Amino acid sequence: MFDLKMPLTDALAVSLIGIVTVICILAVIALLIILVSKVIRAFEKGTGRKKAVAAPEQSAPAAKGVPMPAGMNQGELELVGTDEKTAAIIMAIVSDKSGIPLNRLSFKSIKLMEDK
Amino acid sequence: MEMIKDVLVGLWESSGFYALFADGTFLWQNLVMILVSFVLLYFAIVKKCEPLLLVPIAFGILLANLPGAGLMDDPTGLMDTSNLVEGAHWYDSGVLRLIYAGVKSSIFPCIIFLGIGCMTDFGPLLSNPMSLLLGAAAQLGIYVAFVIAILLGFEPAEAAAIAIIGGADGPTAIFLTGKLASHLLGPIAVAAYSYMALIPFIQPPIMKALTTEKERKVEMKQLRKVSKTEKIIFPVVVLVICAFILPSVAPLLGFLMLGNLFKECGVVDRLSDTAQNALMNIVTIMLGLTVGATTNGQTFLKAGTLKIVVLGLVAFAFSTVGGLLLGKLLYLITGGKVNPLIGAAGVSAVPMAARVAQNEGRKYNPKNFLLMHAMGPNVAGVIGSAVAAGFLLAMFGGK
Repeated sequence: MFDLKMPLTDALAVSLIGIVTVICILAVIALLIILVSKVIRAFEKGTGRKKAVAAPEQSAPAAKGVPMPAGMNQGELELVGTDEKTAAIIMAIVSDKSGIPLNRLSFKSIKLMEDK
Repeated sequence: MEMIKDVLVGLWESSGFYALFADGTFLWQNLVMILVSFVLLYFAIVKKCEPLLLVPIAFGILLANLPGAGLMDDPTGLMDTSNLVEGAHWYDSGVLRLIYAGVKSSIFPCIIFLGIGCMTDFGPLLSNPMSLLLGAAAQLGIYVAFVIAILLGFEPAEAAAIAIIGGADGPTAIFLTGKLASHLLGPIAVAAYSYMALIPFIQPPIMKALTTEKERKVEMKQLRKVSKTEKIIFPVVVLVICAFILPSVAPLLGFLMLGNLFKECGVVDRLSDTAQNALMNIVTIMLGLTVGATTNGQTFLKAGTLKIVVLGLVAFAFSTVGGLLLGKLLYLITGGKVNPLIGAAGVSAVPMAARVAQNEGRKYNPKNFLLMHAMGPNVAGVIGSAVAAGFLLAMFGGK
């Protein structure tokens, strides 16, 4: 019925080996990512602790009040783990997406979400 | 008077109208392809369907089918020895054929991958490595389409080139087809890019059919923050592992990971900027134009092309199915923490497939924000389709 250029069993074998190969290679990469990220995070945790001990005065304040730029709503914005530049970008994005001018928006605080 | 007559006859005989009836055969196929190019230009310009690719592709189709223009002529048989001209030089005619050497030699697909690497953020993948399995499962369509293509009577190398459409990755499809079945490059490239543009129409019905409303409503927890060091190490490690296991994958993955290293290392911003903007745009023009130019009416308008178009759709659909089914399995294993919709993003059309997962998720749960979760399988799909292409090349490249 079919004029096959390759036996069907061979085609099925190639397909099976092919999908298994792709899954195996990507699974190996996934395992390596987990391994490497654990090593890096452990290393960074260690060096971070050392830095904190060496220079406690340099650690970033947990919360810092910054004055609002001219033309914006008055009041104080609490930044937690966020620098002023990032906060400005976030405020601009919120204003743009919501369509509300910045001088009509009031931001109470911008807080960096910690990893769980 | 005689001279004027000779000039007019010469002018007529060198015209496209005369070439249309050359050797007593009416080249209607070229006219049909010219009309196809007009339709594609309409879709690209008016409907804005993938215009960056479709405009050069459509114009390439138009240029290659102009009777007598000879933009794809190969008088010295550099790539095709069927139309040799005695005493001709390689540069005498066929300007598009000369540019086409970049496709044939895989230079253009690799450079496109360099640009894609510069634009890709592997962060969502690194924060959720399980995404890689979804990217792998979404290559299922490649192998299903391969078996069907064999059943339809295609040569194994042709079947492999057609099947790679299921990877939903244009440069990968062009790379593999250029190596295995370059005579099918036109239909395969056109099918691959067309289906990528049609993802928002192809995937949602399959997503709806294979998932329950409860599964589609699942909200996934926020991804962890990935450190810069992890992002820098990732491209190097992935390349080394993949290339050692499957060396044939090195050209595509090598350029992809080089581009990503440019982006992440932070010390070569100028190179990264050039690769993802100027270089990418230049190569897109040349790639699109010459891929379009491979669709000469006489070779393109055949029953085989229709089979390829249908097989491409089958491959795309099964790839979506593969990703969704693994997504459902992960939903069960994790106790409902994974939304199976992100599995469909495992087909590597970045970021279109991830956007579709996001939109479908929000339809059933407006609070849901799946985009970043879907980007993981989406970029994993790029690696998965490159590995699949490397495997098929290793199998059939030595024919």
